Amino acid sequence: MSKGTTKTTYQLPIGPIHPALKEPVMFEFEIDGEKIVNVDVALGHVHRGIEWAGTKRNPIQILYLAERICGICSYCHPMAFALGVERVSKIVVPDRANYLRVIHGELERICSHILWAGVAAHEIGFDSVLFLTWQMREKVLDLTEYLTGNRVTKGITMIGGVRRDITEDMHPRIFETLNYFKENFEKLRHIFLDDKTFKLRSQGCGILKKEDALSLCAVGPTARASGVKKDVRLDQPYFAYGDLEFDYVTPDVLTGEVNGDVYDRIIVRLLEVKQSIDLIEQCIKNMPAGDIVAEKKIAKLLATLKKAKGEGIGRMEAPRGEVFHYVKLNEGDAPYSWKVRAPTYSNILPWIPMLKGQQIADIPIVAASTDPCMSCTNRVSIVHKNERHILDKETLHRMSVEKTRRLMA
Amino acid sequence: MAKGLPKSFKKALWVYHINSGSCNGCDIEIIAALCPRYDAERFGIKLVGSPRHADALLVTGPVTRQMVEKVKRAYEQMPDPKAVICVGNCGNTGDVFYESYNLVGPIDNVIPVDVYVIGCPPRPENIINGVAKAWMKLETLEAKK
Amino acid sequence: MTKCLTPEDLVKSFADKFQVKIKESRIEKYAHGSKKTEFSHIWMRIDKSIFKDVVKHLFTFDEHPHFAVASGYDMGSNIELVYHFSLYGGERNHEVSINITVELPKSNPVIETITDLIPGAVISEQEKQEMLGIKVKGIPKNTRIFISDDFPEGVFPWRRDETGPDKMVRNLHGVKK
Repeated sequence: MSKGTTKTTYQLPIGPIHPALKEPVMFEFEIDGEKIVNVDVALGHVHRGIEWAGTKRNPIQILYLAERICGICSYCHPMAFALGVERVSKIVVPDRANYLRVIHGELERICSHILWAGVAAHEIGFDSVLFLTWQMREKVLDLTEYLTGNRVTKGITMIGGVRRDITEDMHPRIFETLNYFKENFEKLRHIFLDDKTFKLRSQGCGILKKEDALSLCAVGPTARASGVKKDVRLDQPYFAYGDLEFDYVTPDVLTGEVNGDVYDRIIVRLLEVKQSIDLIEQCIKNMPAGDIVAEKKIAKLLATLKKAKGEGIGRMEAPRGEVFHYVKLNEGDAPYSWKVRAPTYSNILPWIPMLKGQQIADIPIVAASTDPCMSCTNRVSIVHKNERHILDKETLHRMSVEKTRRLMA
Repeated sequence: MAKGLPKSFKKALWVYHINSGSCNGCDIEIIAALCPRYDAERFGIKLVGSPRHADALLVTGPVTRQMVEKVKRAYEQMPDPKAVICVGNCGNTGDVFYESYNLVGPIDNVIPVDVYVIGCPPRPENIINGVAKAWMKLETLEAKK
Repeated sequence: MTKCLTPEDLVKSFADKFQVKIKESRIEKYAHGSKKTEFSHIWMRIDKSIFKDVVKHLFTFDEHPHFAVASGYDMGSNIELVYHFSLYGGERNHEVSINITVELPKSNPVIETITDLIPGAVISEQEKQEMLGIKVKGIPKNTRIFISDDFPEGVFPWRRDETGPDKMVRNLHGVKK
């Protein structure tokens, strides 16, 4: 321990960050003046014993439990679980259901990235951008409600397909929302990528090098912004992604170079919104006719699952990265074992190289740039030694906003 | 609003939010309630960063063992008169998490609750309705004094 | 990038190097979408003694194998851990998943750490320690990670024997009579 460094602990809100959304998170840093010297990671808070509860319920009940692992990625968890179960029990999903699954997944991706964009803007200090982006997000939520019946927890997954169809008369409404986004995408891009203050705050900040991203197994936009081409939709195409035309999104598509900083992560997420709009249009154009679920009668489905035996894994690309579910069925009512690994789990260790050498005022924007979802993971607390100072969330947010004002002046 | 209340509220309601282990669904709908579409801020409802400035406490989530002390402390730090609003089914009865080794009961096992907003997650209009009911309760208590 | 081997060649390479210590292996192929694009999952059950060498052998195929998570369950007298890796990511439809199952007897549930090869595995190993009661030899951080510190020692939530969490379980819907 060198002289002149003090340990500081403070509470950092993680998750969609607003004075309201304070997820239980605690950080402790070792600081030297204003710079962070060392960072240590420990976890643990929103632990509700879900994997244990899963061993006591049948697979269809687990779908509803899995949805509530996280409200923001509430589509990916039941879908990855359904993929795992289908692979064990050899249920064949009809083609039309696969295309429908892609459409809902991409809608959720657009929703989640726009939500994140608002949060990132808020952390830098632009509250009006927060309100602008969340207003745009309401349009997507309206479409989600029209297609599935609810805004957040959709309940559209079923083992073997989906529960609701998208018929021809729903298409005009979908195209109306997509056109709204296509028109306003340029506005979003201009606000985030051309604004001088955004650039000053985010370029060169929170850099994650490619070797670190690979050795710490980072996933999702966090890894792609560092130049690592990792995307489950392309690596192991599930649903109907094998039929669609798209490619890995890395920052050099737009700017020609890869730095791995916060600015690159903003670029990756905005480009992914554009890519999602394109994928939804491809799906609607090429949707095959057919059933939407492999087995309509639930009792028959449960009887099939009761006889299944084996292990299966389901991997999906959630907005934050790779969601991984492992299911072991052993001829009983309930699965013998169920393991959930949410993407934030893998994206926490990369915080350590990202935050070393940064100023305290940069902590909110760097942590927010990985888009962590604490209820998927549990809690994070970064622990160190010696003297303790408590810097609460208000102070931290204020420091971040003050830094922006200083740069603008 | 209901009859029997003065036409304008005597003061604006400041709200403090605490997440005791929820999935974030309710938390997003609380933020959406403040955004321009539902716009709770036109009623003067504001989110504050510390329980010492708040009149009402919004709690979400089934209370995990790690969060019990923090929820109790937030409740004790709030000045009287105060109201507690429990948002979401997890806090009301446990919902899908009805059996667990790491959860300490629904929120009313930990702190006394005034208004229960049900839904998983409740719609933003429902949340604003719940906050308004808590507001009426506080105003009625003030008027009785 | 090193040349990609087919799943059959990968399994053969392990069988050639480790012979009978690879207790069983199987390849499962899945096809999705209208074009039926195919990919493979490899499952291997190995002896505990060669675990670290098997993980090292993965590095000969791919400089940076991706480690997803380690799952585990209680099988009565044994605890089984399944480590999930994947190779050859980065090019369209090239990735192969490899799942390695290791059996640990409950009388001696010790396994070696892989954090010196893959630093990102430390959280997964901490979780297995506290959930199943195994010991990871050489783990860099030996603390609890998801369970609170006031949870009693010796209670392991994923175990199905007397050290399971049954006495800690509460029913939130329960009504006081």
